[in-house]
Amino acid sequence: MDMDQAEKQAFERYLLAMADDELILGHLNSEWCGHAPLLEEDIAFANIALDEIGHASTWYAILSEFTGKDPETHPDHLVYFRDASDFHSARLVELPNGDWAFSMLRQYLFDAYEMVKLRELERSRYLPLAGAAAKIRKEEIYHYRHTSAWIKRLGLGTEESHRRLQNALAALWPYTRQLFTPVAGEDLVVSSGFGSPSEVVEIAWREQVVPLLEESGLQLGHLSNLVPVVSRYDGSREQHTPHLKVLVRELQSVARLEPDSSW
Amino acid sequence: MTDTQWPRFMVFQQTGEDEPLMHNGTVHAPDVEMALMNARDVFVRRPDAVALWVVPVDAIYSQTREVLANQTGGEPGAGRTNKPEDYIVFGKLSEQAQATYLGKLRANSAQAAMNAAVEKFSDHNVLRWWVFPARLITRSQPQDIESMFLPALDKPFRLSTDFHTQTAMREIRDRKP
Repeated sequence: MDMDQAEKQAFERYLLAMADDELILGHLNSEWCGHAPLLEEDIAFANIALDEIGHASTWYAILSEFTGKDPETHPDHLVYFRDASDFHSARLVELPNGDWAFSMLRQYLFDAYEMVKLRELERSRYLPLAGAAAKIRKEEIYHYRHTSAWIKRLGLGTEESHRRLQNALAALWPYTRQLFTPVAGEDLVVSSGFGSPSEVVEIAWREQVVPLLEESGLQLGHLSNLVPVVSRYDGSREQHTPHLKVLVRELQSVARLEPDSSW
Repeated sequence: MTDTQWPRFMVFQQTGEDEPLMHNGTVHAPDVEMALMNARDVFVRRPDAVALWVVPVDAIYSQTREVLANQTGGEPGAGRTNKPEDYIVFGKLSEQAQATYLGKLRANSAQAAMNAAVEKFSDHNVLRWWVFPARLITRSQPQDIESMFLPALDKPFRLSTDFHTQTAMREIRDRKP
């Protein structure tokens, strides 16, 4: 692979951001297991959480291979023995769970993001990424179908479900911007043909989510007045919410007790 | 006690092109679209499926062989006639087996469909019969296979015994002073 150091590092950050988003969101959503509002959805939402962790594991393995590390063992190292400050997750996925509308809407917004981004990445010139994107997108199409069905029913359901969903939208919307904040060096990833521009993904995402949210009876007019938590151009995934540290500490607590144990 | 749950739907699953649809269980759902998705999530994460049907439980007319043999008559309402339409017939072929798809036929009431089924499928040893109008089926579409069913094939099913947690815990305990 004919890449210079800067290009390589940019692509590593690009993959790490994807993997960390899926890991953290999957981990948080797994907290609903045993607590979802009905048994069938408890199983469904746990399935989705597990799928996202599976996607994270795929991206970590691709990253490991790209950096010449063992794709079998290095992902565990990245998940269990990396400091929270070295994670590249977006703040959207770090926010603690609120009510059901909050978690469902966050998963919906993320599914839409993943679905449109994977459609782009199917054309990546880095073939392991293109292949995995094509495979994972099939599953994301189902996630999107499931979560969008819930959003419509919450939005058009009762006064209470509508109110909760509208509140969730106000809480989550300012955080969505960071999903489309280019990671440092994204231009190099794009020019090498390995990844696609965040701007393209953002446009496709908006075309996907805005009509669905409107169809679900949500008011979007005021959203443009909400100040994004990060602007599109401050570039960094190095700033995190305070929640990430707590989450990562818990996630790693057992592994770090006995680093040499094989589970 | 009043049932505060959402309506129940029967779930039927086909695991291969040449396999018959089989009853798999029931799910609660507020509507047919959610019922189909709940069926997928509860029953088809694994093993595999090529088609899934959900049918409102209330739409299924069911009789045992014994009741039919005793001619004690059907349930009230089952004989109410409508315009002729397609009915689907399932039969439970042994105590242990789930109900299996047998075929379809045209009838103008659930009771008429049941009577016709007993005659048409007389070569099967059916312990319990189910009939329901085909129009009440919500089914997965061929284009759903890729996103609803195929991903499960890549996910190995692991029993809790596949994880060596206990062994690892024991080793840690023994190592500690």
